[in-house]
Amino acid sequence: MLTYILRRLGAGLLLLAVVTMVTFWIFYVLPRWAGVTPQGMAAMYVGRAPTPEALAATVDRLGLDQPVAVQFVEFVRGLLFGQEFTFGRETVECAAPCLGYSFITNSPVLPQILDRLPVTMSLAAGAAVIWVIGGVTVGVVSAVKKGSVFDRIAMSTALVGVSMPIYFTGLLALAFLVHQWGLFPVSRYVPLTEDPVSWFQVMLLPWITLAFLHAAQYARQTRAGMLETLNEDYIRTARAKGLSERKVIFKHALRPTLTPIVTILGLDIGLVMGGAILTEKVFSLNGVGAYAIDAIISNDLPVVIGVTLLGAVFVVLCNLVVDLLYPIVDPRVRINA
Amino acid sequence: MASTGPAATAPDAVVRVDDLRVSFPIMDADDVHAVKGLSFELPAGGALGIVGESGSGKSVTSLALMGLHRGSRARISGSVEVAGQDVNAASDKQLRAMRGNDIAMVFQDPMQSLHPQYTIGNQLVEAYRVHHPKAGRATARARAIESLERVGIPEPAKRINSYPHEFSGGMRQRVVIAMGLMCDPKVLLADEPTTALDVTVQAQVLDLLDELRRDLGMALILVSHDLAVVAGSVDEVVVMRHGEAVERGDVRRVLAEPEHAYTRALLDAVPRVEVSRAQRRAQDRADRVERDKAAGRITEPGEFAAFTPSGTTDGDTPLLRVRDLSQRFKVRGGLWGRSSDFWAVKGAGFDLHKGQTLGVVGESGSGKSTLSRMVMRLLEPTEGTVEFEGRDITHLSERALRPLRRDIQMVFQNPYSSLNPRVTVGDAIGTALRVQGERNRGEIRNQVCELLERVGLESGHYNRFPHAFSGGQRQRIAIARALILKPKLIICDEPVSALDVSTQDQVLRLLSELQDDFGLTYIFVAHDLAVVRQVSDRVAVMRKGEIVEMGDSDTVYENPQSDYTRSLLAAAPVLDADESRRLRAERVQGRAQEQATV
Repeated sequence: MLTYILRRLGAGLLLLAVVTMVTFWIFYVLPRWAGVTPQGMAAMYVGRAPTPEALAATVDRLGLDQPVAVQFVEFVRGLLFGQEFTFGRETVECAAPCLGYSFITNSPVLPQILDRLPVTMSLAAGAAVIWVIGGVTVGVVSAVKKGSVFDRIAMSTALVGVSMPIYFTGLLALAFLVHQWGLFPVSRYVPLTEDPVSWFQVMLLPWITLAFLHAAQYARQTRAGMLETLNEDYIRTARAKGLSERKVIFKHALRPTLTPIVTILGLDIGLVMGGAILTEKVFSLNGVGAYAIDAIISNDLPVVIGVTLLGAVFVVLCNLVVDLLYPIVDPRVRINA
Repeated sequence: MASTGPAATAPDAVVRVDDLRVSFPIMDADDVHAVKGLSFELPAGGALGIVGESGSGKSVTSLALMGLHRGSRARISGSVEVAGQDVNAASDKQLRAMRGNDIAMVFQDPMQSLHPQYTIGNQLVEAYRVHHPKAGRATARARAIESLERVGIPEPAKRINSYPHEFSGGMRQRVVIAMGLMCDPKVLLADEPTTALDVTVQAQVLDLLDELRRDLGMALILVSHDLAVVAGSVDEVVVMRHGEAVERGDVRRVLAEPEHAYTRALLDAVPRVEVSRAQRRAQDRADRVERDKAAGRITEPGEFAAFTPSGTTDGDTPLLRVRDLSQRFKVRGGLWGRSSDFWAVKGAGFDLHKGQTLGVVGESGSGKSTLSRMVMRLLEPTEGTVEFEGRDITHLSERALRPLRRDIQMVFQNPYSSLNPRVTVGDAIGTALRVQGERNRGEIRNQVCELLERVGLESGHYNRFPHAFSGGQRQRIAIARALILKPKLIICDEPVSALDVSTQDQVLRLLSELQDDFGLTYIFVAHDLAVVRQVSDRVAVMRKGEIVEMGDSDTVYENPQSDYTRSLLAAAPVLDADESRRLRAERVQGRAQEQATV
């Protein structure tokens, strides 16, 4: 078991290294190939309408005229040991996992992301709970009562859910549930630690909106998986033992059905943690996704790189958790441990 | 049909089926009548065999006994009574109380019939507690261990915590049987319990069922496609065909003096291990001459190109010479895990002359398929040499092999998955010609049609897709595909093991006729001892990657030198109730001796 964990951890770290390299390549090497000069790149970092002197200073400070390899080593060193940025007399410390320094907000990137992380995590966790419970329940009932009115309505709704983007359902929800009928409060994000009740009230609508999209997909997946499982020989064995239908479904059929869903769940949570851009924007939540989109609009490259890397970390972490959970969910996986 | 009517009603019958009819409605078509008026009775402690080919309705019948058609579209009429309970009229609750408690079922494929994600202990305990809700976990667990011990699982107290994938196929089937025994059922219903198992394992499982039945006084219903499987285990047998019982009676009587023509045909089609290659060949040729005469053709025995085995063993080069052939596979230990070596075949060697058939017999995992794949050069051997017509082909490149592909062809086991469902039969057969450079489409078509007729299909089948054909017909297509390039050697890897006995017989005849007509050389790989004997001049017995015995087929079968061959022969089911019981007694004694010496 320990070797299994270590092996998976190793694979995760390797993956992160690759992601780092690719990210670096996209933001530092690709522009060069496209003919962007170091000054041009510096301009992206500095913001609008800089003076030539400021540009030259930035080029020098970030080492943008250095060979790519040197820049990469610098970048990785920043990640591992931290970096210092000097502005004339002022020196800013960017501590250990230094994802870069934003010249627009004049601060290191990581603390800014960490500031916004609780919002995104609240969103991801709450939505995931809703979409898993909702999606799986609907999927199971649909599969068991295949062809029934419930099944048809649920699957049509799921189809609609899958095909409607957040900025549509979200805006509809805002327009009617909040502004027209006043069912949900209009207020800003309140941290869980400050006021759990308000936190819940504020987050509920974003949760439901984000969950709706995913729940639809999970319901369809669960239904398909369940129908397949119900045809398995071991389900017939379970019935032949004299087990009640409830036991057959919830003990024997549900577990194999959920096994592949755990995998998708890991990926989805990882992705949402990296920033549910649309949901955060629609509901004015100041999370990681919103931060990233603002950075893109204002050409704040270090922030974009930072969010990309952090997003990758979440996906890798969630996958790691799934990999570790997998042998518990499906004992057959243990053979290779 | 006189003998199929209900016999005098026994008062102690534990299963009573009267005029059972099961049909399935199909959209836009007439209902499929799977069972049409079946009646039989099983006295307490008795044993009944239900035998029939695929589509005969035997599995539908066993599901009806368990009431497992509930919730499906099946329409059931007639009466089914198990332990005094009317299955068709019972409420769901009554039915659940019956299942597993009065009647327990053992299914065909032990790989699929246990839940992969729960320990066997969990599944056994559950089977007990559902009918004994007051029993504690510990009681149920003790009972599970006892039950596992009863079916011969070694170290049951430890193994109870294992998952199904940690057992071999035969052991899993024992676990399924143990699960059936948890509540001391009055009837054990075994639906093809040994079809997925090797011969020796099959014999063990059948012996176990027989022993349990005697010791526990359980009634046994054994459902099988193979008369030989039920021969030694049941008192009475019902032969089913197209949903009807064509014959019913004492197993000895049915096997010795079958009344119905279908039973007779079925018995004739079962390959018998005591029939030699020469006898079978003579019979096939005689039948063919007869048939051709009736059709107005005259076939003289001399016309058979290979009537006398050509290629006498001395002097000339054999068609195929294999020496010290080995294949190693690296077994990987997952991501970055250390790999270990596994020798699938080790040091195999033989000569094969033109017009001869080499039979390769062995159980699953014996390396017989790997060996044939190496000969075919689908795999590159790790060690040793393969010479084809005196030329070393062991390490030829794929490019250099291409002309050779014409000469060596293969027929695979599963006719359902070895044909591409989206390619017409004509194209499937003709593609090989095109690949080998034939451009004239008309010519390809002519050749394919001629061949289709030769293998017993019609040229009108050219544009049909594989799904329109039965298993036997598909295997004929596969044979035609192998023949189109006029190969010198055909490797048949379990060509008949997926087929019903009667179809199997037809395909074997076809292969034999084709050998006569074209002077073909075969390597015939199979696990069925009787089939291998009847088609092979020489036989190689494989075990764990090694050839343990090789020789003339008659010598190997009549005077086996290796213990393994002897145990295989002792395990092969025979079509005689008394002989089969005698063999069982021998096996039981042998096992007892083994136990005693250990």
